[in-house]
Amino acid sequence: MGDESAEVRDVLAFLQSTEPFASLDDDHRRVVEKGIEVAYFRRGTVITDAGDANDRLSLIRSGAVELMLGGTQLSARLGERDCFGYPSLIRRGPAQNTATAIEDCLLYRLPGATFHVLRERCADFRKFFDIDESARLRRAVARMEGDGPVAGDESGLAIYATIGSFLSGRPAVSGDPALSVGEAAALMAREDVSTLPLCEDGRLLGIVTDKDLRRRVLAVQLDLATPVRAIMTPDPITIGLNDTAMTALLEMTRRHIHHLPVIDASGALVAVISASDVLGQLGAHSLRIPAEIERSASAQELATATARLPDAVSALVSAGVDASHVTHYASAIGGSAHCRLLELAQTELGPPPVPFALVCFGSLARYEQGLGSDQDNGFVLGEGYDEARHNSYFAALAKRLSDGLAAAGYAYCKGDIMATNPDCRRDLAGWQSRFGHWIATPDPQAVLDSAIFFDMRPLAGEEELVKQLREGVFAQARDNRIFLSFMARAAASTAVPLGFFRNFLLHHDADEGDVLDLKRQAIAPIVDIARCHALARAIPATGTLERLDAAAAAGGLHPEAARDLAAGFEFLCDVRFRHQAGQRARGEPLSNLLPPRELSRFDREHLRDAFRLIRAQLDKLRSDFAGGLT
Amino acid sequence: MAPLWFADPRRRFERAFARAASQAPAGPLADYYAAGSPRLYTAFSDAELVCVDLETDGLTPQRDAILEAGTVPLVQGRLQVGEAKRTRFRPIQALSPASVAIHGITDDAAAEALREDDALAQLLPLLARRVLVAHFAQIEAEFLDRACRRVFGGPFVAPFVCTMQLQQRWFGGKPGEIVRLGALRARYGLPHYAAHDGVGDALACGELLLAQVAHKSGSPPSLAELLRR
Repeated sequence: MGDESAEVRDVLAFLQSTEPFASLDDDHRRVVEKGIEVAYFRRGTVITDAGDANDRLSLIRSGAVELMLGGTQLSARLGERDCFGYPSLIRRGPAQNTATAIEDCLLYRLPGATFHVLRERCADFRKFFDIDESARLRRAVARMEGDGPVAGDESGLAIYATIGSFLSGRPAVSGDPALSVGEAAALMAREDVSTLPLCEDGRLLGIVTDKDLRRRVLAVQLDLATPVRAIMTPDPITIGLNDTAMTALLEMTRRHIHHLPVIDASGALVAVISASDVLGQLGAHSLRIPAEIERSASAQELATATARLPDAVSALVSAGVDASHVTHYASAIGGSAHCRLLELAQTELGPPPVPFALVCFGSLARYEQGLGSDQDNGFVLGEGYDEARHNSYFAALAKRLSDGLAAAGYAYCKGDIMATNPDCRRDLAGWQSRFGHWIATPDPQAVLDSAIFFDMRPLAGEEELVKQLREGVFAQARDNRIFLSFMARAAASTAVPLGFFRNFLLHHDADEGDVLDLKRQAIAPIVDIARCHALARAIPATGTLERLDAAAAAGGLHPEAARDLAAGFEFLCDVRFRHQAGQRARGEPLSNLLPPRELSRFDREHLRDAFRLIRAQLDKLRSDFAGGLT
Repeated sequence: MAPLWFADPRRRFERAFARAASQAPAGPLADYYAAGSPRLYTAFSDAELVCVDLETDGLTPQRDAILEAGTVPLVQGRLQVGEAKRTRFRPIQALSPASVAIHGITDDAAAEALREDDALAQLLPLLARRVLVAHFAQIEAEFLDRACRRVFGGPFVAPFVCTMQLQQRWFGGKPGEIVRLGALRARYGLPHYAAHDGVGDALACGELLLAQVAHKSGSPPSLAELLRR
């Protein structure tokens, strides 16, 4: 009692449930509580004017506040538990926004001095109020990728399970390095293992794999009496019992290996784990799908295999695998499905009368396929193609491919960008003239419609045809500033939202929408920016992240902008996958439409950061390529 | 037409305050008066007030005791949470089960409290030179007056703002009708507060007053317009 002020339980309870105050320790939260002044503003009242000095952090206890940059341009609408006023405190300058109560407001206000003390003492508090949204976004991505998803118990995620926790308990099969090659091979055959660790006094000296036997023995007709030590890989990469499944997966992916010896703390061999052990642990059996696609003898069989893709993707997502790996995985499956269906069709129809290539466009070409993607493909017909004689073969081939893809879950393209469309079956010159027309005489609608054609890669057949086409097209585009300005303008015309207000999506014109179209309003603009830069510099990469990297390396894009956009892209893709995994779990059809009420606070705030960054980069794109014209 | 000078609540208060001050026996009550009377001839936005809520053992000042007083200063239109104070009074008799259920003050908690004279000695300086704000202020006024008479032998005189009366006077309603604080706050869209202790209710009452002042039509009110009649 005495001079100590009394706790106000309701104020404390509100702080305890509102970030960043919730994460403060009790003592610092009490510092906040003691600094609070409560003020009330009636709807329509200006709380702070742009240009005025501001010496307080405001936390909305109830009501809503609108921020207008310079008093004229809508910049945000804030509701209960949102804070405002901190950028001017951090910059120690005047307020840039006019803050107006748009509902009756009860505000908790904290003196600037207290705010600065907390920022100095509490790292999380300082990070929360970072005014550099790209830094916040990068941190969010790092948190998702490095430490696993933020909003959950990481320890419960399969990807963070230790190797030791999922070993079968079966003792490791190992051999003596003094064995002959023939004896080692016999041991491997008997034990049905493809990898044999070789140990001396319990210490791992090296390993021999099926591949070693093939390449270092059979192919060179090595004497089977040679000691196996001579062909083993000495000092192999190993993994510890306490390492995580994620570490094992990354190690295998990075080094293109499928087996890892597991050792305990003393360095003794415990087991050998395979990629499928790890992926099996993730519950995905994700490796089985490509193998089943390869083996399928009909389009129906293939469809049975791809029907498991959504489950595999959901499992990877919930296991904490980051979005770009998941899209690469899904795109690999998509690519295999195309190739296998084409092979099946050729088995039926006979070999093609002239060389040709199957080319894919859009997300599959960018390795950014998610779930529920359409098919976007075409044929580039090679030397000797004769419309009259060969058209019927390729039409039939396209029909089988397209129907097979539809059965496998890749919907027919609504824009008819499919090899079934005669317009998408052209010889090299035909494609070149089509692209040439778009580039030489651009019009806004055609630019929008043709954009995905500029993301292309060969899937099967004569890859050289696609490579030649792409090189020609990109060289032509690079040299045509008018075309580039149309592309940039088309990209910049996307209405990227401002942020959220309660359960609504907030737009520049103060309109409030009900749903966020994650793909169209956030992901596509980044893809567009990357594509514009790729075209402007004739960058061969098709993936958005690779394009951003290459554009930065080529000097077309500021490295920091490239890094920010990449972080935004990864964050958005991750949100999309998590959202779609939720839709699947609830048995809803997959979509990119996201009602704001389903977003966590973490996602909302970082989406808002991503929107802001994208809007800034779209403006930059327009001024770089379109001379600022709109 | 300007109110007749004798009808102005400020005049009535000043007369009562001066009389009580002159008669108060030496001690905490005399100190309270010696600090001076609050400034009443000012705009609300410049005034110094203090929101008070008493938790009592019942509603009859003659019989029931104060158990706890919560105060939150309201200065220049801002409620100062960091200056919130709680004063616990030691009950004179064992608590009635009914009142324990309402404010959650048990005999054990009350045992840590101050004797009535010490509690008042702690509370009165928090109220000195301030206009008091309470919901259904009659209760606070009568309990404080009764306690001061009992302990110090003199009346407690202070200017009060009553948010319940203000609501009826400014925004209509049946005169004398009792509207609970929570119900009235809900009408203004103010958040629901779970805790019912003196400090929490004092803050809740202060927020209600801020809302009422903000919603009053016309020019910003003077402090005199708010005073309990």
